[in-house]
Amino acid sequence: MFREVIIQLWKDKFARAALIVLGIIYLALFFADFIAPYTKDFSDRTMAYVPPSKVFTIDENGKFSKPYTYNYVREFDQNSLEIKYKFDRSKKHYIKFFSKGQPYKFLGLIPMKRHLFTTDEGGRMFLLGTDINGRDVFSRLLFGGRISMTIGFLALLVLFPIGLLYGGISGYFGGKVDMLMMRFAESIMAIPSFYLLIILASVLPSGMTSTQRFLLIVIILALIGWAGFARVVRGMVLSIKNEDYVQSAKSIGASDLRIIIKHILPQTTSFVIVAMTLSVPSYILSESGLSFLGLGIQQPDASWGNMLKEAQEFTNILYRPWLLTPGFLIFVSVLAFNLIGDTIRDVLDPKSKVR
Amino acid sequence: MTRRGYWVLFFGLVIAALLCKACIVRDVPPKAGQNTNAKQQSATAAYTMPKNVTLNGIEYLQSQAPVGKFGGTLVSSTIGEGPKTFNPFNCKDNTSSIMSGIMYDGLLTTNPTTGDVAPKLAKAYSISPDGKVYTIYLRKGAKWSDGKPITADDVVFTWNNIIFAGYGDTSTRDSLVIDGKLPSVRKYGDYIVVFAITRPYAPFLRMLSTPIAPKHIFAPAVKKGKEYFDSFLSTTAKPKDFVVSGAFKLKEYVPAQRVVFERNPNYYEINSKNEKLPYLDKLVYLIVGDLNNEVLKFEAKELDVISLQGSKVARYKAMEPKSDFKLYNLGPDTGTMYLSLNLNTRKDSKGKYYVEPIKQKWFNDLNFRRAVDYAIDRKNMVLNIANGIGAPLFTPESLNSIYLNKKLKPYNKDLNNAKILLKKSGFTLKDGKLFDKDGHRVEFNLYTNAGNTEREAIGVMIKQDLEDLGMKVNFKPIEFNSLVNKLVSTFDWDMVIMGLTGSPLEPNGGKNVWLSDGRLHMFNMRTPQEGKAGILPWEKQLDEMFTKGALATKFEDRKPYYDKYQEIVYTQKPMIYIYSPIRIVAIRNKFKNIYPSSLGGLTHNIEEIYEESNKK
Amino acid sequence: MDTLKYILKRILQTIPLLIIVSVVSFFIIRLSPVDPLAELKLNPSISPETVEKERARLGLDKPIIVQYGKWAISFVKGDLGVTSTGEKVSSKLAERIPNTLLLTSIVILLTWLVGVPLGILAAVRWKTPFDRIMTVVTSIGMAIPSFFFAVLLLMFAVRTGWFPIGGLTSAGYADMNIFGKFWDITHHLILPVFVLFTISLAGLQRQMRANMLDVLDSDYVKFARAKGLSENVVIYKHALRNAVNPMITLLGFEFAGLLSGAALTEYVFQYPGLGRLILEAVMKSDINLVMASLMMGAVMLILGNLIADILLIITDPRIRTGA
Repeated sequence: MFREVIIQLWKDKFARAALIVLGIIYLALFFADFIAPYTKDFSDRTMAYVPPSKVFTIDENGKFSKPYTYNYVREFDQNSLEIKYKFDRSKKHYIKFFSKGQPYKFLGLIPMKRHLFTTDEGGRMFLLGTDINGRDVFSRLLFGGRISMTIGFLALLVLFPIGLLYGGISGYFGGKVDMLMMRFAESIMAIPSFYLLIILASVLPSGMTSTQRFLLIVIILALIGWAGFARVVRGMVLSIKNEDYVQSAKSIGASDLRIIIKHILPQTTSFVIVAMTLSVPSYILSESGLSFLGLGIQQPDASWGNMLKEAQEFTNILYRPWLLTPGFLIFVSVLAFNLIGDTIRDVLDPKSKVR
Repeated sequence: MTRRGYWVLFFGLVIAALLCKACIVRDVPPKAGQNTNAKQQSATAAYTMPKNVTLNGIEYLQSQAPVGKFGGTLVSSTIGEGPKTFNPFNCKDNTSSIMSGIMYDGLLTTNPTTGDVAPKLAKAYSISPDGKVYTIYLRKGAKWSDGKPITADDVVFTWNNIIFAGYGDTSTRDSLVIDGKLPSVRKYGDYIVVFAITRPYAPFLRMLSTPIAPKHIFAPAVKKGKEYFDSFLSTTAKPKDFVVSGAFKLKEYVPAQRVVFERNPNYYEINSKNEKLPYLDKLVYLIVGDLNNEVLKFEAKELDVISLQGSKVARYKAMEPKSDFKLYNLGPDTGTMYLSLNLNTRKDSKGKYYVEPIKQKWFNDLNFRRAVDYAIDRKNMVLNIANGIGAPLFTPESLNSIYLNKKLKPYNKDLNNAKILLKKSGFTLKDGKLFDKDGHRVEFNLYTNAGNTEREAIGVMIKQDLEDLGMKVNFKPIEFNSLVNKLVSTFDWDMVIMGLTGSPLEPNGGKNVWLSDGRLHMFNMRTPQEGKAGILPWEKQLDEMFTKGALATKFEDRKPYYDKYQEIVYTQKPMIYIYSPIRIVAIRNKFKNIYPSSLGGLTHNIEEIYEESNKK
Repeated sequence: MDTLKYILKRILQTIPLLIIVSVVSFFIIRLSPVDPLAELKLNPSISPETVEKERARLGLDKPIIVQYGKWAISFVKGDLGVTSTGEKVSSKLAERIPNTLLLTSIVILLTWLVGVPLGILAAVRWKTPFDRIMTVVTSIGMAIPSFFFAVLLLMFAVRTGWFPIGGLTSAGYADMNIFGKFWDITHHLILPVFVLFTISLAGLQRQMRANMLDVLDSDYVKFARAKGLSENVVIYKHALRNAVNPMITLLGFEFAGLLSGAALTEYVFQYPGLGRLILEAVMKSDINLVMASLMMGAVMLILGNLIADILLIITDPRIRTGA
């Protein structure tokens, strides 16, 4: 089945493009420490809001040269009340590949110093400019992406077992149990999801470490989605439980939980896979919305949503368009997930009710 | 090769070519000397306050500004959710106060240029030599918007039956309980009111700018009790229910969208041609959710006036010569941003220290506090966060305060000095990590309220600044409400970045912050049961300055006390001030009689402002 | 009679639902470390006495169970209480609900008018380039973060000057004639409607396509085809009816989904709707306001489902026996 899915995905032009894009994004995120020239929290305060560095390959005399860049210097013009950025042409900073830069721990374990590219001492290389604190947007995009692109999956990993088990139990036992469990699930569904989301997020206690906060947001995202999922599972279980093999398992005397987990739930696999791929994007969007409102991932940690917060400001959009890049990345990756999800659905479950 | 293969090859080549093009960038140095910026002048004529005149037996206020044209609309804005009430005595937030302030005038007002007290609804006032008796003379013939006369009855009713009787927000009353007694208010005839207080109390004079209520409208509401009064003239009240003394009167309130005022035909100010002001037909306040939306609305010409921050200033400055608006620099704002340290050394009711004893030692060490101060890079904060539109701050009084102690000098970041100070107190630096003399690593939490981009950015910078000294700073932006809870209830914080808005005219407003038993004495907060427990010598001095400063009545007498208080804060550094943003405002050129001032802002003389080219 | 009984039963079923909703949300909100009086406490010009008075007025000095009990009793009596700033919750909601209803009903109407035909077309032309393109286009619609899209559109409005910047009416609204007013509101609605439309269109189109595919694959359509009926008759006369039916159930969800989906869009466009109100209330832990709006949301959702169910019964009497 999985082979077939992969083959189908590769056959479809859009899905293939989406797979490639996601592949590149996840690879880049995995090697973020190496690719990013700076660490997540590195900031050069004299370089707030500098535009993307320009890389020159032909020098001022018109000759080819090793790629180099100039640092920006900033001055405040008392007349125009404007901060101006100019190249500091007194010193060229050559770009070096695979050389030593800021130390980091690869995947949090292996201490390393090599980066994909850096400049020589004293040089600053900001591929996508910097933010208000003079932090490299390019590097933060990579680190922020780690959070934004995994949070949806983690939420699903929490949510699916809960939903499966809840729906399974409810559907299998039926009667009063079913009635009670479904009423509870329905009342969770009756709270408009985004409101529930922000209420839960606003309840998060203060003074948590960033890991704690990240995990709690995962749990909150999961809390929103499980009920609807459980309901669909329950519907499927209702029809599966009357199948012959379930009845025969019962007659052998298998325990109820065993029947649910071993015999009934596996039958829902294709639905689960489809539902999963199709709901990843909505979790990515939820996280970004939450962080955009300031309720999600907090500074100094980065996520695409909270980086986009700066793009709220009018002058930033006009004069500092590089701050919009997280928005485009969200868009691209969500689109890619949608396209892949569509194709998987067409293969596994063409008439699925899952949107 | 298939046809598809050719396509792939073709696109591949194109992409490769584009990549090469992107890689080959020529470095062309700019030619020198093309940067000439013409200096712009924006001198404004001095503002003259309106004067009293008597005309047909009516004592008007007469505008001294050039005669303008009647009609037109000015659209301004208010940020947030809009007013909560239009009842001037129920206001607990700034927007509501502004809205009701437009409709209800006080007896006195402030001269926007000098900061002196000036007559408004009262034509004159006098203070007895002992500073205990204030006599107010009302305008004969001044009328409410429904045509009824404004008399001493209204004033006495407002003070005795509303404010002193505890209706609405009781803060004014609470601050006027002097020696357990409230001032007495009596009328002598229809146009003279006498306030008597038991002890001289300087801030009282400015409190007389509290709005005056029309007795014939408010008396029935007062009779129905406090609960009724709380919802009286709320946002659901109908515009026709308002009887006002101010230049404008409510016309329409659309929740979450706008407040519209129309001119009060009975306003007591006239122009030099003896025509009744205000000039404008309508005054509109759009309710906008945030600064950003406000700017967008100004750009789209939906707004006529705007206050600008940071990078927007440069944009507008560049647009100004070709645009229909003009920028005014009002100087430093009244807002102050500061970093506070928790000096609390006491235990809570369960016997647990609010602040860990190890940290207590650091925060109570003056050298430590001064080192922190020297490490802070105010200059770059102004440049990065306020986009250069700000001024470093070193005192608790805002830079436009008339009580500012100008002797206290600014200084720059000085890491060496900071390190010397730390060394003096026995701190040692090992491998870039700071340890105290008992060998504890210096590590603490720094809080601010999440969602405030400015403060978050300051936090990130302060964290780095202090890490330059080897301190470990855990910077935690938390929800505003939880932060306040820490500051005023649980006291379990180390350092915090906050902002307060003070009055540039009356330093006594800061007593809640500086008195040792003040409600906002955050850096060494005491519970009401603790009273003045563990008072530090300089805290005692601060108490003394504030008590004496309030008792003296003349500016010259008060100034030394408030100078001293700023000096104490400057040297003791319980709160380390960071910077003040500079207020830059823009208004469309079509509006005339604009006399901006640091204290009054742009529209302090709203009744005199007129629209030059309105189609009326 | 049966129908009436069924409806009654459904209504009774919603009561425990509402109780659970209210308990869950009340306790979540009260769990929050947020202090509704924080802003007052930090205002130097407000005296401690005033703060105390406010605390007593809001009942914050009592244990949480008592608070819930008090809230529930007055809620049943129809009293929604006052906000933390002393305004009546009911009047605040009354200000906002019509605006939100206006926005959402226009969006629903538009998405149905456009989404259903597009879904049918995509299903009829299953696996053709049209179908593929539709899938990609709707994917794009689903992929744009609503707030980001809204921010970009606002920029567009500023740059071109073609649209007003947020809000629902302009400053001079009160003085306009009826056509002016109508145009003014329409003008303000275009951008927010466009954002919500783009986002919700995708879901509807997909749902309709799936239903239609389902029906087209069913035995009776095959039978009808075998009978030699023309393709158009088969599709538009027989299949369509059966494919639209299940969509009605969706209407209820659609409505509530929009209610919460609109919050971010309302926030960016400064639209005076329910979403922005709740957002602001949550941030300040204004419990009465949050509770009331949550209950409103829940009631609307349940009501939407109920109406959808009743519509289903009317169109398809078989359901009743199944229930």
